[in-house]
Amino acid sequence: MPIGDMLLRSVDDSQINTVFPKTFEEYRKWDKSKDELPPEEVYKALFQELASGDKVKVGRALTRMNYSKSGWKSLIKKTSRAIKKAVKKDELPDNYKEFLIETNEKWADPTYWYAMGQMINNTTSIYYWNAIDRTFDENLNVVQQEENRRVYVQTWIKTLKVSVYVTAFCLILGFPVAHLLANLPLRYSNLLMIFVLLPFWTSLLVRTTAWIVMLQQNGVINGVLVWLGIISEEGRLSMVYNETGTLIAMTQILLPFMILPLYSVMRVIPKSHMRAAQNLGAKPAMAFWKVYLPQTIPGMSAGGLLVFVLAIGYFITPELVGGKDGKLIGSWIAYHLKTTLNWGLTAALGAILLGFMLIFYWLYNKIVGIDNIKLG
Amino acid sequence: MSKFLKAFLFVSLVFAPFAASAVTVASWGGAYTESQQKAYANTYSDPSSIVFENYNGGLGEVRAQVESGSVTWDLVDALPSDAITGCDEGLFEDISAEIAAGAAPGPDGESMAEDMENNGLEYHSGWDCCVPQIFWTYVVFFDPDAFPGEKPSTIADFFDVEKFPGKRGVHTWATGIIEKAMVADGVKPSAVPTVLANQTGAIDRAFAKLDTIKDDVVFWSAGAQPLELVKSGEVIMSIAYNGRVGAANLAEGANFEYIWEGQVLDQEYLCLMSGAPNRDAAIDFMFHASTPEAQAEQAKYITYGPMRASGIPIIEANEPWGPGGVDIMPHMPNTPERLKVSIVSDPQWWSDYGAEINERYSAWMGN
Amino acid sequence: MALPSYATPIQRTYYYAYLFFCAFVFFFLVAPLFAIVPISFSVSPFMVFTEGMLAWPPEPEAWSTRWYRNMIGDCSADVVSTTVPCSTKWMVGTVNSFYIGIIATAIATGLGTMAALGLSRPHMPYKALIMSILISPMIVPLIITAAGMFFFYARINLVYTFTGVILAHVALATPFVVITVTATLVGFDMNMVKASQSLGAKPLRTFFKVIMPLILPGIISGALFAFITSFDEVVIVMFMASIDQLTIPKQMWAGIRQEISPVILCMATCLVVLSIILLTTVELLRRRSERLRGIKSR
Repeated sequence: MPIGDMLLRSVDDSQINTVFPKTFEEYRKWDKSKDELPPEEVYKALFQELASGDKVKVGRALTRMNYSKSGWKSLIKKTSRAIKKAVKKDELPDNYKEFLIETNEKWADPTYWYAMGQMINNTTSIYYWNAIDRTFDENLNVVQQEENRRVYVQTWIKTLKVSVYVTAFCLILGFPVAHLLANLPLRYSNLLMIFVLLPFWTSLLVRTTAWIVMLQQNGVINGVLVWLGIISEEGRLSMVYNETGTLIAMTQILLPFMILPLYSVMRVIPKSHMRAAQNLGAKPAMAFWKVYLPQTIPGMSAGGLLVFVLAIGYFITPELVGGKDGKLIGSWIAYHLKTTLNWGLTAALGAILLGFMLIFYWLYNKIVGIDNIKLG
Repeated sequence: MSKFLKAFLFVSLVFAPFAASAVTVASWGGAYTESQQKAYANTYSDPSSIVFENYNGGLGEVRAQVESGSVTWDLVDALPSDAITGCDEGLFEDISAEIAAGAAPGPDGESMAEDMENNGLEYHSGWDCCVPQIFWTYVVFFDPDAFPGEKPSTIADFFDVEKFPGKRGVHTWATGIIEKAMVADGVKPSAVPTVLANQTGAIDRAFAKLDTIKDDVVFWSAGAQPLELVKSGEVIMSIAYNGRVGAANLAEGANFEYIWEGQVLDQEYLCLMSGAPNRDAAIDFMFHASTPEAQAEQAKYITYGPMRASGIPIIEANEPWGPGGVDIMPHMPNTPERLKVSIVSDPQWWSDYGAEINERYSAWMGN
Repeated sequence: MALPSYATPIQRTYYYAYLFFCAFVFFFLVAPLFAIVPISFSVSPFMVFTEGMLAWPPEPEAWSTRWYRNMIGDCSADVVSTTVPCSTKWMVGTVNSFYIGIIATAIATGLGTMAALGLSRPHMPYKALIMSILISPMIVPLIITAAGMFFFYARINLVYTFTGVILAHVALATPFVVITVTATLVGFDMNMVKASQSLGAKPLRTFFKVIMPLILPGIISGALFAFITSFDEVVIVMFMASIDQLTIPKQMWAGIRQEISPVILCMATCLVVLSIILLTTVELLRRRSERLRGIKSR
């Protein structure tokens, strides 16, 4: 249900049409190829609807209009004030177009009117296009966003990149550990398992904070390195508030999600297989590559997809330890949800992320089966 | 088992928070709310009738309360952009008539609005629903011990990586830094908002200036970070909220110096919720909290500047104003001579263009 | 898995490199958690090891419990400082966290157990589909769940209420219960249910007297998982909780962003201790469950 509602939000654009129905009706009659500016009727309808409009509703519509073009907000507000003054004094203009342009020259700027065209329908795909740095031109064709505003594609790539790196690191670090745990006698492996499960059970924020303490300029790692004489006092490494910090912290946080599925797969691989291969003359490396590794693939794919999917939606940790590199797609979702209140764009970003997710989820189900998830 | 569970549930139900019946003020928490408590509530005729609650800013919670009809807050401490939007959308109640009639005038009989205009402010629709609080500013500061030779003294120095090589701390959003870049590029501080609003290509100019320090920037995202960055030597100077620097100087024995030129003043308001449960008492408290005396009082506890111009002379005349006999004026952002080199951020313009510029700024950071 | 005596020097090198690597990873996993403990007892307001703390012989004045006292709302003069004001927020957060956590756990445990019982029946239609839907909140990125729930709850006025936060946590926590209970049901002998019923027990009585005792360890560890999920959850509370529903994670988030101070580390230390306790409990239960069901450990 909540997800469906979100999808609905991502295409809904009815709000503004309920505030300016007549303006839009007239707007449709405007032939953009013939006239540079909309006809007088559009100006008149807008004038009347602003004069009679409910302040609260108009205010809310403005917020929406400002997404499609910056500057709408104060333009309408200033105009609205002038209109109300004129109406109060009972001085209705003869020519509405001239009146509006006189109030504010931006009414003679066709780009504002083009932006209005984006909102003409009750549903819209613009949020999806916005989410990949595209927008509509005056004829509702999809075009590239202005170059210096293209930020989402870049963020998507960054998010994917971080997720891939984190997954790879988790696999590199997790594989030997899972192997060790699976092959030790249970007495020892249960003991060592605590090292994996403890972080798994510990609050995400605790671990994030801990990494700030470890990695900062005056932090534990730099302190130890300086004390050991590996780096000088001036040469302290900056490992936090950048991409390094994000990768280190996220890898540690997601590592248990890699180790646990790997472990559960490796535990049931009979040790005799490796010995058999070696008896048959394979070198240990060969035996590992040809016999052992293929059998761990379900574990690797389960762990890999789990980590990847979790990483792709992460934003708490990157936001706190990532500095400028910490703004992943999750941060933008949070930003638009809480700060700009551009819920359409929020929903679209979320829906795209969900789309990615479903693909991986489907793969996961295909490869390992969904009910094979085990916890510790 | 189930009896135990029931008992537990009961206990936790008893401990669940209860709704307040006094005037509830939603504010940012931390040292800031502490200063409001001391300066406004404790000096109020009935201090116990004022309760502060924390919120995280933004209009989300305000909107949810108003739309659901269950308003529990009376007053909200809001940024100017939220004050404007909230007032436009009717989330805050328009009390312009009450304010005109009831707000305390300045010492020379000027109205509250005139008193604010003396501080370089301009009317916006937030003034209809809200009363002024404090100026908080984005200011550049540095540790003088890190500069044995010449010390930076202008905002141009902040952007001059040849004269002062080293990293600079800058925040991860665009407000404040855009204006600073304009000043560093030679625009007169007082003219910056006009230039930004009216000159085509002004934004490009600001970004071009930002490009010159791009490789020497360490970005911070939370108000506590810049102090740690400068203290640890990670950067040689940084932009920070002036109140944070003031607190470090006054309470932690730090010795940071400010570069007032090019500081960007931002505003803070106290707004009345639409449908506030204790409306009349709340308005009365608003008037109390916006007197020049109350605003000057707040500077004792946090070094943000009174938004009413007549608050400054009160502090100046009564130095040492701070607790423990320290002078506060060296840390006040809006003395008349500092105002001359400062930019008063234009919330109207930011609420129009903020989303777009922040996208561009993020793209710039990421490249 | 010891090294065979006939191993070549190269194999030996590999083997020790491998052990060293594993040791490094274990260190990487837990070191940060323990690094914070000493700093939480520092006297300084910065989150660093001060010189006094590292000095030998130890300097008692470099250590203190002032941040712990600050955390529990002690406002004595030696506890507060300008940058770290005295506040009851941590304690309010703790109460709220337990309140939300316990109620959400109770509901999630009930729902999850029923779902697991239903799903473990051999002839359940659409088993895979139902399982997928049940598990999805665990795998869908939290930010999507949170955004979706926010929009939905905004329509029905549940945002910024305890009910809303609790329901959201129930949705997140239920899958954990389903999984752990399903795991204990593996190897559960359905003949026992038949036996009980043939002896005249009503279904409810069968459940409480026969099924429940056997799967209880699974239910409890599922409940603990559910509890820790709710207790640690930060994204949902960020979006859907107002300050009335301040929880520990929410306060920590605010703390890291606004007032970096060792008080955060004190709470973090407490949470690490809590997770050690919970972890131990789950481990003991798991062993008990395996014993009960007669599954022999390798």
